[in-house]
Amino acid sequence: MNRYLENVAVRRVLAMVLLASAWEVLSRIGVINPFYAPAPSEILRVVFSLFIEGTIYNHLEATFVAALAGLVIGLALGIFLGFAAALVPLVADVLEPIMLLLNAIPRVILAPLFVIWLGIEISSKIALAVVLVAVLIFFAVYNGIKDVNQLFVDRVRTLGGGRLVLLREVYVPSVTAWVLGSLKVAVGFAFTGACVGEFVAATRGLGYLLQFAQSTYNAALTMGLIFLIMGFVLVLFFCAEVVERWLLRWRYRGTDRRVT
Amino acid sequence: MLRVRDLAVGYGAEPVIEGVNLEVASGKFVSLVGPSGSGKTSILRAVSGLLTPRSGGIELNGSRESLGFLFQDDALLPWRTARENVALGLRIRKLPTKAAESEADAWLARLGLGGFGERFPHELSGGQRKRVAIAQILALKPKLLLMDEPFASLDAIVRTRITQELLNWVEREHLSVLLVTHDLEEALTVSDTVYLLSQGPRARILASYNVAIPRPRDIFASRKHPNFAPLLERLWNDMSGAMNGAEFEAQR
Ligand SMILES: Nc1ncnc2c1ncn2[C@@H]1O[C@H](COP(=O)(O)OP(=O)(O)O)[C@@H](O)[C@H]1O
Ligand SMILES: [Mg+2]
Repeated sequence: MNRYLENVAVRRVLAMVLLASAWEVLSRIGVINPFYAPAPSEILRVVFSLFIEGTIYNHLEATFVAALAGLVIGLALGIFLGFAAALVPLVADVLEPIMLLLNAIPRVILAPLFVIWLGIEISSKIALAVVLVAVLIFFAVYNGIKDVNQLFVDRVRTLGGGRLVLLREVYVPSVTAWVLGSLKVAVGFAFTGACVGEFVAATRGLGYLLQFAQSTYNAALTMGLIFLIMGFVLVLFFCAEVVERWLLRWRYRGTDRRVT
Repeated sequence: MLRVRDLAVGYGAEPVIEGVNLEVASGKFVSLVGPSGSGKTSILRAVSGLLTPRSGGIELNGSRESLGFLFQDDALLPWRTARENVALGLRIRKLPTKAAESEADAWLARLGLGGFGERFPHELSGGQRKRVAIAQILALKPKLLLMDEPFASLDAIVRTRITQELLNWVEREHLSVLLVTHDLEEALTVSDTVYLLSQGPRARILASYNVAIPRPRDIFASRKHPNFAPLLERLWNDMSGAMNGAEFEAQR
């Protein structure tokens, strides 16, 4: 038993099970008011029925499409603008103040504006996710390029490399490392954009469902949806981690067989 | 092979070096010693084209392609394997990737790193990384080697071994070398000529010394040659004189 307890994962799962059980018991004997915090079993039942009745799939699709489209477009836009600003001073002069401003404000406040511009369909959700992700990635790329190790630049130049070789051999790999460092945050941001957009005005999506649950004071559904979104984001974090480890294998590989 | 005339280099208002003249004749091993911060690295960077001189001339026998620059840090790209790092220079010179990589493998083997081609730099020891960096340079068949304190970071045994191997290679291939070092003994054991740079700013060449020790050289045997000790003493005295003078000036 003690040996198992030394494992962090085991301890974490155990703590969560204990917490859920305590919650369940307190809720059943009436110490916690189920109107505000329904028992975990009740939350699970609501979530399962969403899947069994099949109502959830339409909403899942809407949120996932918006989040993933926002992530991909936001990444592409952020990388493109980051490179443009780092390589062309004129672009930097124009973009830097805009990006700094967008970075300083809570970008979700733009949601109502996107609804007015793009309607309540999916494009306004994608737009919000794009803005959230693109600003983050812009700074990762822009700072990544400015922070490139000058030693590598000199090395490639003395080997005879020109601008194109420098870009391919030094800038792109350095920037990839920076962008991947922000990838998990970007995944979270993409989901935030999609859900908040749906929360503001939509006809489907997890955010819409959440808004509906809240307006009908359905605490079980609200909590169920919150846990569901958490679960999905954690799964995507895991995927992001796999991508990161693969693309940065030069950093991770063989850390245990270093020779001296 | 290389002639530096009246070179001035600087970063701010005041030049780091000024009026520097030196020469590396074809097939000669030349060292540049001087206090730290005097401008030795800056001279090499100017010769290699990484730094534009304030004034003066750099005459090279041939193009910059015939230069090989070994940095103080190994400067291997961390996201490239040892093989890819060595192949990089060859690919830049338009060799197809396949051919460049098999050539790279041959060079790694020559430097005692056969079978290490797949390793990333962080999977190699300091000495192994240095050998990869040497392979990367030698693979391009340079005529003139520029070396900036290349072995300063290595421990004594590895350092001695790599220095001797490189010395053998240089002697066999009749390469010209300009070596920057702060180690006076190392400079004397390997060089034909040693230049002493004064303390900066406005550092200049204080003196040059001819090292009359026959080749091929063994770095242990060279130290026992009768010409070695008197020369080292002279160089040592001149160098500490240059540094004391500067400290004295700084205090005034
Ligand atoms: N990139 C740079 N920008 C400003 N000053 C520099 C730069 N590189 C070197 N210097 C200055 O130039 C002087 C000579 O430096 P360096 O050539 O590296 O000397 P050394 O190699 O002999 O130690 C030093 O005072 C150093 O501070
Ligand atoms: Mg230096």
